Amino acid sequence: MVNKVLGLTAADQASLLRIAILGLISLVAIGSRLYSVIRFESVIHEFDPWFNYRTTRYLVDHGFDKFWNWFDETAWYPLGRVVGGTLYPGIMVTSATIYNALHLINIPVDIRNVCVFLAPAFSALTAIATYHLGKEVKNATAGLLAAAFIGVAPGYISRSVAGSYDNEGIAIFLLVFTFFLWLRSVRLGSALYGALTAISYFYMVSAWGGYVFIINLIPLHVFALLAMGRFSNRLYVAYSTFYVIGTLASMQIPFVGFQPTFTSEHMAALGTFGLIQLVAFASFARTLVPENHFRTLLRGAVVSLFVVGLSGLVLLTMSGVIAPWTGRFYSLWDTGYAKIHIPIIASVSEHQPTAWPNFFFDLNMLIWLLPAGIYFSFSELSDNHVFLILYSIFAAYFASVMVRLILTLTPIVCVLAGVAMAHVFETYLNLRDVPAAAQLKAKATPDVVAATDAVKSLVDAVSDDTAIEDTDSASGHKKDGKRGKGAKKNAAKAVEPTSADGAATSSTQPSVPTSKELSPALKRFYALFPKFVVMTCFMFLLCMFQWHCSWITSTAYSSPSVVLSSRGPDGSHLIIDDFREAYYWLRKNTKPEAKVLSWWDYGYQLAGMADRTTLVDNNTWNNTHIATVGKIMASDEDTAYELARHHDVDYVLVVFGAMLGYSGDDINKFLWMVRIAQGVYPDDVKEEEFYNSQGQYAISDDASPAMKNSLMHKLSYYRFADVMGGQGFDRVRKQKLPTSVTLDNFEEAYTTENWMVRIYKVKDLDNLGRSHHAASKF
Amino acid sequence: MRLLAALGALSFAGQLLLSCGIVGAQSLSELQILVKKDSDSLARLDIDTFVKNVVPESKSYAVVVQLTALSPKYKCEPCIKLDKTLRAVARGWNRHGDKDRIIFASMDVDDGEELFHKMKIEQIPRLMVFPAGAGPHALANASPREMTIKEETMTPVGMSAKLGLLLGVEIKPDVPVDYSKYLKSILAVQAAGVGAYLAYKFVNLRMLGRNLWAIATIMFVLLMTSGFMWNKINDPPYMGQTKSGEVALFVPTNNQQFAVETQIVAVTYAVCALCIVILVRHAPKIQSADQRTFVTLVFVLVLMLMFSYLNSVFRLKMPGYPFKLLLE
Repeated sequence: MVNKVLGLTAADQASLLRIAILGLISLVAIGSRLYSVIRFESVIHEFDPWFNYRTTRYLVDHGFDKFWNWFDETAWYPLGRVVGGTLYPGIMVTSATIYNALHLINIPVDIRNVCVFLAPAFSALTAIATYHLGKEVKNATAGLLAAAFIGVAPGYISRSVAGSYDNEGIAIFLLVFTFFLWLRSVRLGSALYGALTAISYFYMVSAWGGYVFIINLIPLHVFALLAMGRFSNRLYVAYSTFYVIGTLASMQIPFVGFQPTFTSEHMAALGTFGLIQLVAFASFARTLVPENHFRTLLRGAVVSLFVVGLSGLVLLTMSGVIAPWTGRFYSLWDTGYAKIHIPIIASVSEHQPTAWPNFFFDLNMLIWLLPAGIYFSFSELSDNHVFLILYSIFAAYFASVMVRLILTLTPIVCVLAGVAMAHVFETYLNLRDVPAAAQLKAKATPDVVAATDAVKSLVDAVSDDTAIEDTDSASGHKKDGKRGKGAKKNAAKAVEPTSADGAATSSTQPSVPTSKELSPALKRFYALFPKFVVMTCFMFLLCMFQWHCSWITSTAYSSPSVVLSSRGPDGSHLIIDDFREAYYWLRKNTKPEAKVLSWWDYGYQLAGMADRTTLVDNNTWNNTHIATVGKIMASDEDTAYELARHHDVDYVLVVFGAMLGYSGDDINKFLWMVRIAQGVYPDDVKEEEFYNSQGQYAISDDASPAMKNSLMHKLSYYRFADVMGGQGFDRVRKQKLPTSVTLDNFEEAYTTENWMVRIYKVKDLDNLGRSHHAASKF
Repeated sequence: MRLLAALGALSFAGQLLLSCGIVGAQSLSELQILVKKDSDSLARLDIDTFVKNVVPESKSYAVVVQLTALSPKYKCEPCIKLDKTLRAVARGWNRHGDKDRIIFASMDVDDGEELFHKMKIEQIPRLMVFPAGAGPHALANASPREMTIKEETMTPVGMSAKLGLLLGVEIKPDVPVDYSKYLKSILAVQAAGVGAYLAYKFVNLRMLGRNLWAIATIMFVLLMTSGFMWNKINDPPYMGQTKSGEVALFVPTNNQQFAVETQIVAVTYAVCALCIVILVRHAPKIQSADQRTFVTLVFVLVLMLMFSYLNSVFRLKMPGYPFKLLLE
């Protein structure tokens, strides 16, 4: 070879470059997720990750068997929680495996650091999986672009910064990887890849509840292909292998159990599996039975099967054998459902619908590259492209209904944007055809144009049998009933006389100088100039995309929310560490078996950091229990005291932001507590009682009596006026403070530095049998 | 809120009773005559009947009253809505229920402005329940109470359920069956069937299909990614007004939007995507070099302008966003 550089051929150079680029993309992907560690420290973020971290630690300390059978009596007191059977163990097992492997080779890394850096590490894997997906549907260019996009897209970073130790951190990698394997197995018709898809799907099932998206999208892809008349043995092999192995494997996860056999979410997969067997049988029968008999057979079979299947499904659903859809899925389809029926779902902000700035925020220019990518997919429309289109339709719908599902939209947006961008690059970075095209244009007489067209059709005709029917010259011969090679010959003959001469001249003697001859360099410049402009613009857009992503990541997605930061008046960086302060106080100063009552948001953190028993936590499986806690918070002091004593509560913890202006505090969440409590105890708690006579949600002296008497109000504002002075002011609600807040049944145990967390002890019964009110008066 | 209104009503009723000298002379039959007068069995009250027959707690029947302003000059949309709902419930009660037990009534501001003033009622419509205090259906707490009017109580079924819960009796509303809806859906199904048949017969689906599907898919995805579902769920106004009275197309916050924003953004996205498609598919095929250069440059410019516009709008929605392009 002529073009050897460092002893490498061009192909080797290209693959070396690809590997280098992918490596760099991985580095960028990991790097941009480390803002939180650099700015704060290596700490687990938010709420759910604390549960995952705690269970991972348990797994590492006690081994897999203990973990699998773990009954946690310190959660949901007094009910407890069967942890092993109610979680997706994928992420814990992954971290524990990494931890053990590292220790095996004598790298003594702390389990916390494994957990903190797991999501960034997997984001690098996601980038690589996306590269392969892009390569599968188009080529390496699209793959690299898609990988670069997903490496930094804020829509994915939002769930995978360092410290965000949550299921989504590894699940998005698994989602992309499963889809890649699926597309490859459909393209190759390989049972091996089908089985690999199933294994990857199993890993996904073990990691995230979002696996339902896969088990509905893949059957939908199969169904769409069947409906388009694209049944093939490749599809049959791929889907049958995937479904059988994948379903059996997924049933090994205790939390999933037998659901794949009877819940509606999994019925589409089962139905499609049955359908593809029938279609396969039909196409087999077609080879054995005469055509007209087959048609009658088919018609009868389709009608009867449809009737039997539908009535069977309706019957089974009505008799309750097939469980109806769960609430969260209802809220995806009927968007008003959650609002009316399930306040606990509606209360979570990430279950809200998505306004357009959220999309632009998370995906920036990718969001308008998506339609272009869909267009290019439609113009090719291979089996793989059908999948991309279906994926984009459904992911777009789900993302628009629930903010947090932008996460599942991000991979497909990145892939399709990569495809669109690759088209642009291939068109405008291809500088090789420029001189030839320029020369051709210099002599672009109609004759030559016609000739080149004819040559093109000739080439088509020779290279592709099926293309014959489309070319004009061949259409005449189709009527003669000649097909295949005969037609090809005719087609070739038909174009020969008109084109041979022209083609020869245009290819061999390209440039006949025109009267006003431009210098070759200038001509080259004119031909290149538009390409140069286009590429400059697009490079600039890409740079801007990267800036946007970095900025969004650093400002919006890198706060651990356990540790807060703010700016002092002189611009200095202040760290607000009240949460950990309070949790460590509990850990060090209370009895190990003490029960702490708080709103469910803080349950996982309490269990993880304070190591104390909680009544409710972020695993919101028991609405009644949560409503009871809401009722305690919303009742007056005496009722609350009685209820708290009934539930063995030792401490009550409230989060209070009025001093710092932290708006995510309990008083702002209070209305949801009231609503959830009202759902279960409509006689005792009424939302309207918490608005004052002007219908406002007030906290100061003009608040409604129910509000002023509620435990939440008292615990929040008790003695707060003392520290803020007479002219005190609530910095969140922008209202004056209530003047007198009395508290008898509870005593203040601890309040953190910035008053963000306040802990109260539930008083013991009075020694003399008096009420606490009487005792404190005395 | 409820308590205050109830207290106001009570104290006022006491005054009126004293001033008018009528004590304990409420009569059901007077109300029933009023009920019969109305086609929907909703008694239209005036001050006298209200004070005499509704307010006293010693009555043996319950009264559900709406305080309202139905005359078109008040332009009270919710009043009309509540009135319609209450009429459906009243009709249903008249048909199925015990007419001696619950009376449905309406008190219009035109018939008793003075009463509204004295009761310090500033907001209408209000729905008040005066339970029976004597007789077999008496409630332990017969003080009047107000029902908050929410989305669910604005429907006949929701209101009957609430009232039924309060008064301890099942109330069936009379909801007229909307046959036109059935008719429409039947017609729609038929039209779809005929359309599908015609399409199957006369149109070459293979040729047409792909483009149609492509257009439909892209339009759907554009709508979804520009916040269509947000509009559908939150039902925002079409566009807003600035303080100086000019038309505002964009809400200057990150998680709110006007309905028109979706349209603007969807169109902008579509134009951007179209520019890409033209640049890739059509511009390179133009034969004349000058024309090709021109078209390429124009569409790149359009693309950059559109994206700059998006960026500037986004800066408006998210103050502090540091990047900008061409436009402010």
